[in-house]
Amino acid sequence: MMGTSSTETELIQRAATGDSDAFGALVQPHLALFHNGIHRILGNVADTQDALQDALMSIHRDLPRFEGRSRFSSWGYKVCLNAALMARRSRVRIHDMERAEPLALGPFDERGHHQEPDHLPEWQVEAQAHHLVEKQEMRECLTRALDELPDNHRIVFVLKDLEDWETEDIARHLQITAGTVRQRLHRSRVLLQARLRTYVLGGRP
Amino acid sequence: MKFLPSCHEVQTELTEYAEGAPPITRRAGIWVHLLFCRVCAGFLRGLRALPGVAKHSLAPPEVPPEAATRALADVQAALLKQKAP
Repeated sequence: MMGTSSTETELIQRAATGDSDAFGALVQPHLALFHNGIHRILGNVADTQDALQDALMSIHRDLPRFEGRSRFSSWGYKVCLNAALMARRSRVRIHDMERAEPLALGPFDERGHHQEPDHLPEWQVEAQAHHLVEKQEMRECLTRALDELPDNHRIVFVLKDLEDWETEDIARHLQITAGTVRQRLHRSRVLLQARLRTYVLGGRP
Repeated sequence: MKFLPSCHEVQTELTEYAEGAPPITRRAGIWVHLLFCRVCAGFLRGLRALPGVAKHSLAPPEVPPEAATRALADVQAALLKQKAP
């Protein structure tokens, strides 16, 4: 197995035969990663726990087919994302309506240009936000903002900006057009950026 | 459609623009607008920085949450049950 250490290979072989301790030792180091990936997509504690349980069962079932071409953590993470996407498909989505989220942040004058641009603060996200990234407050703000997004917007933001999927792959997977992917992505980014305004500009959003 | 789009139009189309989706004349109009409008240019920088900031901020915690540990324990218990004669 190219992508795995000898200890991990041994754990995989023992876990595949049904050794539950070996399975625990194999998965435990990656459990936070697996849980986080699922939670980003589902955004709900109970659904996340169920999907994680399903994913762990799938990982165990498919262990004999794992050839070690990638790292176990990467392979397991993919299984977890698929479990989250499956769970998302099957649950009743009451949060999916297209809402009138802004596509731009004003204020604008009647010609669509910024009003008094000299008095508008300049966005400095890249410089200041990285400095603030360690702050728990920032994590909580982003988590809250992600929770506020409609499901069908959050999934696009997560797959594109957090998981680095291609736009076309997202469109194919969600059975929507690439244009719809970009529009939902843009709405999500604008909303998240509006929430981050507090941190980036030091004022209230 | 006029060559130079307004700030509102530019901000609305920035994700499309970043992916090269609009026709070339529209992309050129947005590009010129961004050269002269510091607010829209800063807004684009913010959009580009967002994925990196979000990835760092929303990185998995070092210790898995209790719910994750519980899920693993349940799966291990199911495996033990399967193995039992």
